[in-house]
Amino acid sequence: MELMHSDIFTHIDSSPPPLTAPGPLAGKSVAIQPNMSVRGWPTEAGSVALERFIALEDATVVKRLRAAGAKTMGSTHMSELGFGLAGDTAAQVLAEGHVDIALITDTMGEARVAASTIGVFGFKPSYGIVSRFGLIGLVPSMECFGIMANTLEDVATVMGMIVGSDDHDLSMPEFGPECELPDFSQVCETKEPVGAIGVVSESMDVLEPSESEAFSLALSRLEQAGLKIQELSIVDFDLFRTVHNVIGSVEASSSGGKYDGVRYGHRCTSAKNWNEMYLRSRGESFGLLVKTYMLQGAYFQFENYAAFENACRIRARLVRETEKLFNKADLLVFPTSRPGFDAATARTINEIYDAFSLTLLADVTGLPSLVLPGLVFDGDMDLGLQLVGPRLSDARLLSAALSLSHLSKGGK
Amino acid sequence: MSLDYEAVIGLEIHLQLNCATKMFCDCPNRPGDEPNQNTCPICLWLPGAIPKFGQEALEKATLTCLALNCDIQCESAFDQKVYYYPDLPKGFQLSQFHRPLALNGRLDIIGEDGAPKRLHIHKIHMEEDVAKLVHETEGRTPISLVDFNRAGTPLVEIVTEPDMRSRHDAMEFIRALRTQIRYVGSSECSMEQGTLRVDVNVSLRPRGSDQLNTKVEVKNMNSIRNVGDAIAYEINRQAACLKAGEAIVLHTRLWDSEKCVTTPMRCKFEGPCVPDPSVPQIVISDEWLTELQSRLPEMPGQKVERFVEQYGLIREQAVLMSSERELGEYFEAVVNEDVPPRAVAYWIATQLLPALKERSQTFNETPLTPARFASLLAMLERDEVNANSAKEVLSRLFDSDQTPEAIVERSGFRQVSDTVELELLVDQVLAANSSAADGFRNGKTKVIGFLIGQAMNASQGKANPKLIREILISRLS
Repeated sequence: MELMHSDIFTHIDSSPPPLTAPGPLAGKSVAIQPNMSVRGWPTEAGSVALERFIALEDATVVKRLRAAGAKTMGSTHMSELGFGLAGDTAAQVLAEGHVDIALITDTMGEARVAASTIGVFGFKPSYGIVSRFGLIGLVPSMECFGIMANTLEDVATVMGMIVGSDDHDLSMPEFGPECELPDFSQVCETKEPVGAIGVVSESMDVLEPSESEAFSLALSRLEQAGLKIQELSIVDFDLFRTVHNVIGSVEASSSGGKYDGVRYGHRCTSAKNWNEMYLRSRGESFGLLVKTYMLQGAYFQFENYAAFENACRIRARLVRETEKLFNKADLLVFPTSRPGFDAATARTINEIYDAFSLTLLADVTGLPSLVLPGLVFDGDMDLGLQLVGPRLSDARLLSAALSLSHLSKGGK
Repeated sequence: MSLDYEAVIGLEIHLQLNCATKMFCDCPNRPGDEPNQNTCPICLWLPGAIPKFGQEALEKATLTCLALNCDIQCESAFDQKVYYYPDLPKGFQLSQFHRPLALNGRLDIIGEDGAPKRLHIHKIHMEEDVAKLVHETEGRTPISLVDFNRAGTPLVEIVTEPDMRSRHDAMEFIRALRTQIRYVGSSECSMEQGTLRVDVNVSLRPRGSDQLNTKVEVKNMNSIRNVGDAIAYEINRQAACLKAGEAIVLHTRLWDSEKCVTTPMRCKFEGPCVPDPSVPQIVISDEWLTELQSRLPEMPGQKVERFVEQYGLIREQAVLMSSERELGEYFEAVVNEDVPPRAVAYWIATQLLPALKERSQTFNETPLTPARFASLLAMLERDEVNANSAKEVLSRLFDSDQTPEAIVERSGFRQVSDTVELELLVDQVLAANSSAADGFRNGKTKVIGFLIGQAMNASQGKANPKLIREILISRLS
């Protein structure tokens, strides 16, 4: 097969496929990222800090996908520790038809922005319904496994296979009547009526005129199709970005603390003592963006803890305010990508937050979010219509998207 | 210490909980095994692993808090205590900083003046232990190795209020704490083996003042006596500094048990603590707590009162019989065999405890079961054996599985209480010691002891000394 392009895969599974692979995902091929553990695979998470790290165990998601019959083709190139989309090839392997499904970490909107750039479906589930065991990330309170696929059916089937409690991840909530695990088995058969769609007016304020126009056009098409557009407000919408930045960088500083270059990863050889060895190994390992982010997090930890505490309080308030909007609308909608702010080439913290300013709400709040292609066009660029639903409404969100997808003009 | 100053002392005590597994994974909690045997991706802190907080650690930690009379918090949480050291290569320690498991504990001790004194505990929190560094040389190159067996093993840290004023207070506090914890059985509490580690904070202030001055932390004591010595040294050292007009600087010192001095180690370092996003908040329900409380044994304070009340022990005896849970249980098991409680307490204190110590045995493993000990004491009570013989029988009971009765019979320890036989014996003794007998008749009553001794010797220790005395007196008067 022509898959041996090392420019899109960092590792290709050379093991023979299982003879019989029954299950709902039989015949489906999946690309993963090298921050998702597969026993025996190089798992470098896009960072020199994890050079030569080989995972010892399968991530629960990988184990469940394989058990459902999926073939894990290999792992793609990714941004350092899943922060942003620099050098990421997950969208490319899917666009070029090497796989049916690509998994991609969603920390600030990566799965959805990447999906919109190639005109496919991109999904970020409710936080806590998919085990994070085996995910080597940076921002544990926000990041999760994201899914890109050509069809909503594939998204739903994958979700159906990977959701649910896991003995290896006790940070997941206990599912029961109080906290109902979404049921993905009927997504494609269920007609989910969408009455009102909410537009957060403050999110419009950040748009460039051409983005604004593209989004308005899409909204009027939805309106013509019989949907009610409801204008809603989150006064402090711009604080989503600040909160993500402060909390994300603090968590990144902690999560990145374990990369010392001693047991795996790049190790500086010329240091005079252990302290210098750690400092130089780490200094030489991380790229500028992640290094800056971790340093910023350390600043909040050591020098300005009060700002971090404020960010946590504000986060809780933003979560409450966002949940309240679902009393007035079934779904919230936003554009996804921003043509003027390329997520793949962002070089500073500010630039990266510009590129994800419309998607990080779902990561801060833990809400499910799906990107629907073919509805929002700025010129010939598909910005992706982003739907955000209430917590744990994942299955209904996918059903609703299915009922909207007939409005779609199709991908590029 | 100078009379002008008063010491203000607080303790930070780490207890290693005796759980079967580590705090966040299923690896065995056996730090002393072959290096790096008891490890997994979680406690090696490898990427992709997620800590799994275990129920056993929560139970043992909560029992510890209950034993120290704390208010258990129904919600608590783990934080990341951020610092880097080669024994903590993940860059943070999971510890409860912002929301500890328990607050407001207390323990009562007897102060130096003999009056009861209540000492307060500020908080108790759970935390994981770090790995252990081993420094060696490879050829001529010094190398440092990391052993992860200890990484992630369960600890609680007990932070007291600065209530203590002397080495006595601190040492008594640690002893009282050890007794309480051993009762609930959540930790071995051995300073020598490092399952109980005590850091001391000492500051001085002018007598009569209530200010809290800059403190100095002292670490590295491996016995309760060391703690006392380190406090005494530190009080004198700080008093000398203050007299010389030197300022006390916040820092950490190490106790050197060979030279008996403290030496400066480093500035006291406090890293930041941020909430951990992966370990869920710990929620304790009323039902769970009630269930746990119902499993608490009778604690030493209650037991002392009951022993005084129920068995008529004098207070010192009751305190001793309650000082260890196993000792108290042994005492009651013997008493239940119908032996007078005071005699049991007396024999345990004067004979059994030294004998066990000499043989390095515990109450649970000694072959001298409560039943065997009780039958010996019952024979003593029935005058079937005298006290001296009983001591000899006691020591034989450790090396044989025979009953005390059998040992007494076969070795001829049975006390002779037959009056006819004893009268004969006394007459022989009086005949052989006529001058002593005359002395007694002339008022030298003290010779009775000599005469009893002669009679006992003649009976090879088997005569009933009480009867001998009675017969002697009646014969001589």
